[in-house]
Amino acid sequence: MVLQKAKGHVSSCQADTIMRRCVWAVLLWPNLLTSSVPLDCRQEQGGVSRCSSISQEKLLDRVIQHAELIYRVSEESCSLYEETFIPLPLQFQRNQAGYSCRTLPIPSSRSEVQQISDKWLLHSVLMLVQSWLEPLVYLQTSLDRYDAAPEVIINKTKWVSEKLISLEQGVVVLIKEMLDEGLLNLNHSEEALFQYDVQPEMVESVMKDYTLLSCFKKDAHKMEAFLKLLKCRQTEIYNCS
Amino acid sequence: MAALSSNLLLLLLMSSLDWLSTPGNGFFMARHDVTSPAPPEPHITECISRDQATFQCWWSPGNFHNLSSPGALRLFYINSLASEWKECPKYVHPNRECFFDNNHTSIWIPYCMQLRGQNNVTYYNEEDCFRVENIVRPDPPVSLNWTLLNISPSGLNYDVMVNWEAPPSADVKTGWMRIEYEIQYRAGNTTKWDALEMQRQTQQTIFGLHVGKEYEVHIRCRMRSFVRFGEFSDPIFIQVISSKGSTFPLTLVLVFGITGVLILVMLIVSSQQRRLMMILLPPVPAPKIKGIDPELLKWHTIIHRRGPDKFQLENKGKLDDLNFSSTGGGLGGPPTYATDFYQDELWVEFIEVDAEDAGTGEKEDNQGSDTQRLLDVPQPISHHMNIGFSNAVSFPDSDSGRASCYDPDVPDQDTLMATLLPGQPEDGEVKTSPAPERLLIRTQTAGPQTWFNTDFYAQVSNVMPTGGVVLSPGQQLRIQESTSGTEEEPQQGKEHKGSEDSEEEKEKEEQFQLLVVDPEGGRQAAESNTPQMFAPPSSPIPGEGYQTILPQPAETEPAATAEDGQSPYILPDSPQSQVFARVADYTVVQELNSQHSLLLNPPPRQSPPACRPQHPLKALPSMPVGYITPDLLGSLSP
Repeated sequence: MVLQKAKGHVSSCQADTIMRRCVWAVLLWPNLLTSSVPLDCRQEQGGVSRCSSISQEKLLDRVIQHAELIYRVSEESCSLYEETFIPLPLQFQRNQAGYSCRTLPIPSSRSEVQQISDKWLLHSVLMLVQSWLEPLVYLQTSLDRYDAAPEVIINKTKWVSEKLISLEQGVVVLIKEMLDEGLLNLNHSEEALFQYDVQPEMVESVMKDYTLLSCFKKDAHKMEAFLKLLKCRQTEIYNCS
Repeated sequence: MAALSSNLLLLLLMSSLDWLSTPGNGFFMARHDVTSPAPPEPHITECISRDQATFQCWWSPGNFHNLSSPGALRLFYINSLASEWKECPKYVHPNRECFFDNNHTSIWIPYCMQLRGQNNVTYYNEEDCFRVENIVRPDPPVSLNWTLLNISPSGLNYDVMVNWEAPPSADVKTGWMRIEYEIQYRAGNTTKWDALEMQRQTQQTIFGLHVGKEYEVHIRCRMRSFVRFGEFSDPIFIQVISSKGSTFPLTLVLVFGITGVLILVMLIVSSQQRRLMMILLPPVPAPKIKGIDPELLKWHTIIHRRGPDKFQLENKGKLDDLNFSSTGGGLGGPPTYATDFYQDELWVEFIEVDAEDAGTGEKEDNQGSDTQRLLDVPQPISHHMNIGFSNAVSFPDSDSGRASCYDPDVPDQDTLMATLLPGQPEDGEVKTSPAPERLLIRTQTAGPQTWFNTDFYAQVSNVMPTGGVVLSPGQQLRIQESTSGTEEEPQQGKEHKGSEDSEEEKEKEEQFQLLVVDPEGGRQAAESNTPQMFAPPSSPIPGEGYQTILPQPAETEPAATAEDGQSPYILPDSPQSQVFARVADYTVVQELNSQHSLLLNPPPRQSPPACRPQHPLKALPSMPVGYITPDLLGSLSP
């Protein structure tokens, strides 16, 4: 497979600022930053750019760390949710909950993953990330409706959705730099996957949220694996095939 | 696509049904360690993935023994990518196992397993569905070994570093799997394993192992943030043998030693309890003056009425039977000490007036009347008056003053040596000392007011030249001044050195100095310039001044204060008597008679000389101001 080498430093001021904010987001993870990352640097045209540059390898590392953290937090919140809301007998249905997860046309087996190109890896990740932006927002609103939702779950969910946005931005920049593609349009599909006006009943809502959480956890794990594989390919130390 | 969607719908339906169904017997139950009885029908026992890339499933025929032969049961699976049930790609019949290789394994998508027997009999459990990443149980780590880190100084404990390698089947290098490890160890003879914290590195330190014990260590691992552990590795054994022999005796020695010491301490404490209490909590000593027994200082003055006009004062105290012992030179200190000593003591305890008719004894209640009588007799009669001063040595008067050289009716003009020093235990006899010494006594009053505030005391404020006693007006007694003191006035005038002008002054705070001078002593008692002895009547004493009073007028010191042959009284002027705002606190003790009575009016020198040597105080050597040295005291005893 063709390995695309790093093209040097990310020089554009816009991307630098985005990446700098990604770096900040990752570094300040324990504080559970709630502010999203604005892309104000993007609008600057010309002028003296004060954005610091970051190497591509470092950017990829940061993105991977981001994905790892997202997965860890999602796993924690899913476990917490399961303990709080799901009675013991139904906990075993965890696996079957995957059936209601959305499946995307991305490779699933390791062999397939090993065979696809870097470009496809990155795009898959991006697809995954973008597919979860909206459901997480729905999940937040749904959790807010509960009377006894633990504060921890709500905070974690909020944090995850914010970090996911940062992750998306990072992957976009990576795509641009590694694949020499233009800046992707970050506008998301207008198609609403969830209907917000219809509020299901409590039990149904609980199960639905549970499904969402576990599915998201699965997809976060997937993102992390993809990115790690990409990293392995970049370093070329090991035989990543 | 339609098949896919139909299958999806089917799966959705199944999943929705699953939520409502009771827990089945799927192998996934093992995740929560819920043991359920094996179902009788053929079922899937377990599916495991070791590397998140392949997995295997095992089944069991249950009670259907006719299906136990290989090939009787077949395994089918389905996932979201497949539109129909597929059969196991690879059978391992001896194990009743189905192996799914890389090509047939998809991560992150759900799989469902199914057993089918002959005749399309299907044994399906809805719970046998999973995602591959959730059934990952990594292989145990390999190459487990240990190294000794250190041994504690006592040689009883040591630390060990255990290291290992990740299982080869788990692709950790590429990051495909993130693994964390758990070490467990136990002592050789116990059954309970101690688990250490999950470790992400491939090494860990075990602290606090005991020398001589054998330890067993094994390790297992799992995917990070997942719950299923892999198998334990083969255990290794750790043991460190002490090189310096057994440490048992050392511990034993320590224990016994400490126990013995404790027992010893307890014995000592229990046996010496009292002494220890004394050492630790010494009793607070009562205030006392060194060399002085407070009990001895208590004395009182008895005024014996010898006649209608005669009174005799007698000091009676507790020193009557005491031998004066030189208990230290504390009393013979430098003048400064005397000064400090007399700083704030009121020494007159009480004066008794003992009427002859009523017999001797202490009758304080008669004080008033007797005092009246006393004061009504302003006769220039020389009485033997013993004016007591507190803390003064009282000379015993065993014979009531009758059987002595001194005629009680004759004013004793002998030299008065009064040991007015406090705390001088006196045995009642004043020994004459060869060396004349001057006794200087300096007294100060805290204030005349305090003097008179007690009901028990009647202060002698003045001594008549005739020997009469004038009590203080504070006792509501009119103080009559002897007009006979006129003859003293010139003396007084001489005596007063610089206080003639202040004769009429009333000193609120005067300081009296009593000087008892050895009549034979040739030394000047003091250089005092204040002859004043009595507070109110006399001229004010401007501070520390000493009046030298020579008991022997003939031996009067050059001090002008010395009387000239006359009784060295310091008498208040009679005209001053009316202006008594305060009463004199002190009077001059001029000499002591043989009866150890304080004579304020020393007898004339015509006293029988035979008795002189007996004078208790004649031979008193000169002393520093205010004190009688021990040797001097010795001379005081008769």
